[in-house]
Amino acid sequence: MDDAAILSARDLGHAYGSIVALHGVEFDLPPGRIGLVGANGAGKTTLIKILLGILRPTTGSATVLGFDATKDMLDVRSRIGYMPEGDCLPLDVTASEFIVYAAGLAGLPPNAARQRSSDVLTLVGLEEERFRPLGGFSTGMKQRTKLAQAIVHDPELVFLDEPTAGLDPEGREEMLELISRLGGFGINVLVSSHVLGDIERTCDRVLMLDGGRVLRSGPLSHLVDADVVSVDVIGDVPAVVEHLEAIGAGVEASGSRLLVSSSSDDPFRLVRDALSETGNGMRSMGPKATTLEDVFLEGSET
Amino acid sequence: MTERGAVFDLGYTPHEGERRGRRGAIGTTYRDGLYRVFGIHRRARKKIFPWLLVVFAILPAVVFVGFAFLLSTFAPEADSPFGGHAEYFGITASVVLLFVALAAPELLIPDRREGVLAVYSSRPLRPDDYVGARAASLLTVIAGFMLIPQALMYIGFAALSSDGFFQALGSNANEIPKVLGAAVVYALAFAPVGLLISTIASRKAAATGIYFGVMLIGTALAAALVEASGVPGSRYAALLGVAEHPTHVSDWIFGRVGSSDLVVASTGFDPWVSLAVILVVAAVSSATVVWRYRRIM
Repeated sequence: MDDAAILSARDLGHAYGSIVALHGVEFDLPPGRIGLVGANGAGKTTLIKILLGILRPTTGSATVLGFDATKDMLDVRSRIGYMPEGDCLPLDVTASEFIVYAAGLAGLPPNAARQRSSDVLTLVGLEEERFRPLGGFSTGMKQRTKLAQAIVHDPELVFLDEPTAGLDPEGREEMLELISRLGGFGINVLVSSHVLGDIERTCDRVLMLDGGRVLRSGPLSHLVDADVVSVDVIGDVPAVVEHLEAIGAGVEASGSRLLVSSSSDDPFRLVRDALSETGNGMRSMGPKATTLEDVFLEGSET
Repeated sequence: MTERGAVFDLGYTPHEGERRGRRGAIGTTYRDGLYRVFGIHRRARKKIFPWLLVVFAILPAVVFVGFAFLLSTFAPEADSPFGGHAEYFGITASVVLLFVALAAPELLIPDRREGVLAVYSSRPLRPDDYVGARAASLLTVIAGFMLIPQALMYIGFAALSSDGFFQALGSNANEIPKVLGAAVVYALAFAPVGLLISTIASRKAAATGIYFGVMLIGTALAAALVEASGVPGSRYAALLGVAEHPTHVSDWIFGRVGSSDLVVASTGFDPWVSLAVILVVAAVSSATVVWRYRRIM
């Protein structure tokens, strides 16, 4: 396993009876903000539960911050935070009391727990509401409280399971902003979400799961910034295509729009030369805008 | 010259101090259990019943000692009509039964219903630690209910003794292991069943109702079965009266066997049988609670 990785897995699998949730999962993920993406049922929550030591893998092993997720469960849990997807808040206590309690559960002494509770509730924007019972909180405030309990003990790594679930657009923006800031605090983040736009906004690396297997894994920039040029041609489109293919470029044509790629040369330069040689013009040219959704759909189709 | 204000963004400060790990997590869970059963840090209505029961448990001891003071002043030759340590367990047992019926569900059910177990699952805490800390909270409170009034009586009666305070303390010291033994028996008889029911029931009110059903109606049912049936071996139905067993054992500890009209005693069962029933029920209940929490945490 990669020594620098904060999360690793080798031949990781888990089955609920006859239903296989994860199979042959392998990855090495370096520090940073990692997006865990996949459709519902892809195995995201099962993977997080294995990494937290809640579930035992059926096959293989996983390490978190260098500790075996199953054998060294307490070492792992001393260093991580977890924001579950579902409800996890006691409704009859105030936000302040719950966050102090959550800090104490992570092993912080009482004075430090109170201090950090106050700091973290301010950080997530709940300083005014901290003495209100959680039962009266809106969904957005509850989500921020859940994030606060996940980071109150200053973990090295925090797992966020669907952190924007149920939020209105404004609340979603605030949550994504908070997640983006965590990296600056020295907290590594694994964000699980099926909203790919959220991952693009907040993460620098992605692990894609599909049907319990790893679909893609790598830096987000590598996945979405494919070396492909999109050009809208004016003039003799077939001639331009023929010229590009003759000089070794890959071309996908859709009407006057061409997607041009090349493994050996700069596709921008090839397009420029082809237009010049064939005497044609263009309306627009630029890098192909690839979203994480394109990558996911492309990967799941193959 | 004008004074200029400054805005400081304190940002995020990492925690570089002590981390107590599993020990801290268990201690925090235990402390929270104590707060929870007394309604501390909760709304006022959650404080009413627990503190009312505290008053019910302690007030009679104060009355006993006060009456003993009056007797010692105005009628030194008269015996107290209230009895001593053994009799007092009869009062506290009822209060403890009520308290466990309310406290055990409060300790376990909200964490499950509100999903808070997910937070425990991300802390350095094993399922056994969680269950153990919650059980320890309940047992601590039961011990308080059982022993504080007894200590009050022990010290109060010694203070009123004509033999002198320290002389009386010494001569009554043989009561201490009996009181402790009886308290342990009551705690083992009442707490594990309460925790088991709270592990199975999904609502606090249901758990409280089922607990009363098992402890009180079970005893009445046992008596009815024994009385109604003339079938040989029907006396074994008396063993179903779970709430009677600790009293039977307590009477044995204090040398008062036969002084209570217990069904289990009248059907000829020795106190050690009751003790065995208490231990088996406690062991099975505790093992079931731990097994269940290992599956859901």
